Amino acid sequence: MDAIKTEGLTKHYQVGFWRPRPYVALDNLSLSVGPGEVFGFLGPNGAGKTTTLKLLMQLIYPTSGHAEILGSPVGDVAVKQRIGYLPENPYFYDNLTAEELLVYFARMFGCSASEGRTRAARLLDEVGIGAERRFQLRKFSKGMVQRVGIAQALINEPEVVFLDEPMSGLDPLGRREVRELILRLRDRGCTVFFSSHVLSDAEALCSRVAILAKGRLAAIGGLDELTSVGSRGWELVVSGLTGDVLARLKPRLTRATELGDGRFSLELPPSTIPEQLIPDLGGARIVSLNPLRGTLEDVFVEQVRATSAERFTEKVAS
Amino acid sequence: MRTKPVKHSPFLWVALVVLLVSATTMQVALEGKLERPAMKADVHWIQSPGLMRRLAVGFNAVWADIYWIRAVQYYGSTSISKDPNKNFDQLYPLLDITTSLDPHFNIAYRFGSILLSEGYPHGPGKTKEAITLLQKGIREMPDKWQYYHDAGFVNYWWERDSQAAADWFMKASKLPGAPNWLQPLAASVLAEHGERDASRALWIQLRETAEHKWLRDAANRGLMQLDAEAHIELLEPLVQKFFDMNGRFPKGWQELTGGPVKMLRNLPRDPAGYIYELDPVTGSINVAKDSPLFPLRSRDRG
Amino acid sequence: MRSIAIIAGGVFRDSVRDRIGYGLVFFSIFLMAASFLLAQLTAGQDVKIIKDLGLASASAIGLFIAIFFGIGLVTKEVERRSIYSVLSKPVTRTQFVIGKYLGLVLTLLINLSVMVVAFYAVLLYLDLTTLDGAKAAWEAPALDPRMLKAFALIGVELMLITATAIFFSTFSSPFLSVAMTFAVYIIGHFGEDLKNINSIVKSVVLPYITKAVYYVMPNLSALDVKSAVVHGLPVSGTSMMLATASCMLYIATLLVGSIVIFSRRDLK
Repeated sequence: MDAIKTEGLTKHYQVGFWRPRPYVALDNLSLSVGPGEVFGFLGPNGAGKTTTLKLLMQLIYPTSGHAEILGSPVGDVAVKQRIGYLPENPYFYDNLTAEELLVYFARMFGCSASEGRTRAARLLDEVGIGAERRFQLRKFSKGMVQRVGIAQALINEPEVVFLDEPMSGLDPLGRREVRELILRLRDRGCTVFFSSHVLSDAEALCSRVAILAKGRLAAIGGLDELTSVGSRGWELVVSGLTGDVLARLKPRLTRATELGDGRFSLELPPSTIPEQLIPDLGGARIVSLNPLRGTLEDVFVEQVRATSAERFTEKVAS
Repeated sequence: MRTKPVKHSPFLWVALVVLLVSATTMQVALEGKLERPAMKADVHWIQSPGLMRRLAVGFNAVWADIYWIRAVQYYGSTSISKDPNKNFDQLYPLLDITTSLDPHFNIAYRFGSILLSEGYPHGPGKTKEAITLLQKGIREMPDKWQYYHDAGFVNYWWERDSQAAADWFMKASKLPGAPNWLQPLAASVLAEHGERDASRALWIQLRETAEHKWLRDAANRGLMQLDAEAHIELLEPLVQKFFDMNGRFPKGWQELTGGPVKMLRNLPRDPAGYIYELDPVTGSINVAKDSPLFPLRSRDRG
Repeated sequence: MRSIAIIAGGVFRDSVRDRIGYGLVFFSIFLMAASFLLAQLTAGQDVKIIKDLGLASASAIGLFIAIFFGIGLVTKEVERRSIYSVLSKPVTRTQFVIGKYLGLVLTLLINLSVMVVAFYAVLLYLDLTTLDGAKAAWEAPALDPRMLKAFALIGVELMLITATAIFFSTFSSPFLSVAMTFAVYIIGHFGEDLKNINSIVKSVVLPYITKAVYYVMPNLSALDVKSAVVHGLPVSGTSMMLATASCMLYIATLLVGSIVIFSRRDLK
């Protein structure tokens, strides 16, 4: 059974007062996320990521299509016991302290007050909130609110966690901590569905990603899959390369960069097999040899541009 | 490193104090010199009882209390005012609004009718309006014998209409809970020579049964006025005798307390302690204008 | 049911920490004390004005809290999006609305109780410092327990206004919600005039419209027994119960309406 599944999920809004026109926030999204996956839901701003998450939380209702979490339709109250959600730019009750907020939510899951306090204490430790937990939330910085938000998403030890821009507002140390947290969740068997427009996070954490652009699914698949499409060749770093050897090798290279200290980075086109080059290196020593993959960013930009072009032509045609 | 809070220059503080003192001084200096709009119009803010009642939406009782306070204040301030052109025109409207906002406002009907009938210049002397107010009270609370009694009272005491008074007292006597002295009272007001006794009885009853100190005080005042009237009736023959003896009326009381024929031992004072006024031209005697018993009911009517 | 209690508790805790709420309750107590001064001006009607002012201020302040806090209950959460995290928990939108309503009602009733205690305290002081002779003039004793009837009905009225405020706030802006709730309050008190509009305005169509409005709108003037208890007039328990039952029907209608509207809304 999939942890998360959507079929043809679509959301239109009516925009404009005098002559309302439909605005397509999400168009026919079909995807599935298996249990235990860390799934990255990527896209530029306005792509429909938050719309999707809200549809999954039943904060808004789809125009068509449907979605399931843990085998039951979204909105099922029993399933809500087993999931957690961090909204984008979260806002909680100002006059509660961090502890009180978590206990408040814990009780909604059926915990007693003392059980709630235990969990709250543990989670606040885990997200790095120390003595401030006794201050009212109105005094918290954005980063601290974000951490509390993550804590409240985990208060019920969920099986599936939905995180909308979890890194937003966090400093580099915070980001690192959240990354580690997500990996710990994965290790515990939790399914993590997080949306972001920061690709390096996805690259570091996800097993599978989907790229959304202008409400449409532009690409979906494992990281390796996506980025291997369009392998760009090899990078061979050598030291002790002499000038004439370099001159001889040049026609077979895409680029050669001097790294200083007699080191060179040689970029080989995909057509060249590195093993064939090595005998011709002369006395130079190999420092490293790496395949050059398209980064996720390249895929991202490419897909987004493609979708924009598609949509533009569609619009012109209509 | 924390920065110190900004220090305002001492000049600002000085300026503040100077300005405040000047403003206050100017207010004091202008006291009484600035034009003030006439008091008349703003005595009550809304003129219509119906509108006021609708506007009050659930807070009628408090507004009634406010209007009652204004009515009492208005009566008091106008009563002591020395303005020769004063009138009590706003009194009835204020009382009307009060009783429209709170139709069960007992004291407003009873004391209001006393205030309205009180003779000018101490009060408005508006007996018709007093009766109208009481009739309004009767419509709202038809079983209150006190309102019939009060209406009879106004008729008897101020209007000198014994027949109407007796009718009111009889109606009152038939109501549940009415005291048993109402019927005899009706009888005595109709009796020829019982006038002053009946009046006295009325005031005494009012004083005994009145629920409020203010009504009791009004009753005491009425009794003192009756005493003053009786007193004057005793003084009049003396003045007449002086005229017969000297061909003219006395110039002052001293001529009666001093002189060859001592008719009076002391200067005659009314029950409130004020010397009666003697008019040397007409020989008529009345309470002094600044006596709290002024004015007595006109003794020329009826 | 548990979720409702948790949300209601949250609202109550919110209100206890809210400085405006405190200010209002203290203001009403202040008014009651101040009424003592006013009493001197009333030519012997001191107990009446103290009672009138106490009842009126409890009603007015309760009304203010019911309308402004009532409208904020739902709109504030939606606007600030704190509702997102709540609805992702095992709480339905129905439970959310009802929990918010009950929380504010609880707050109002407790505030009202505080004001009742202050009210009787002031009257106790008056009772102790007034001579027996003057007391004979009072239409009803100072510490008249019948005034509790007026307070009880004020409580019912506040419950109704709160439900009205929530109802409007599920679908319109805060400003409009305040205006419409006030309008319901005012029309509710105009009842009699609506029924008898013929005597004021001559028209053929208008009486039908106003009569329809009269029957659809709750009759709030039936809940207003303040004047009667101050004058010591009888207030029948039966009529109190009937008026309350009628209000409960209205409250249920408004809450169900709120739930229906709120459940179908996209929370953008």
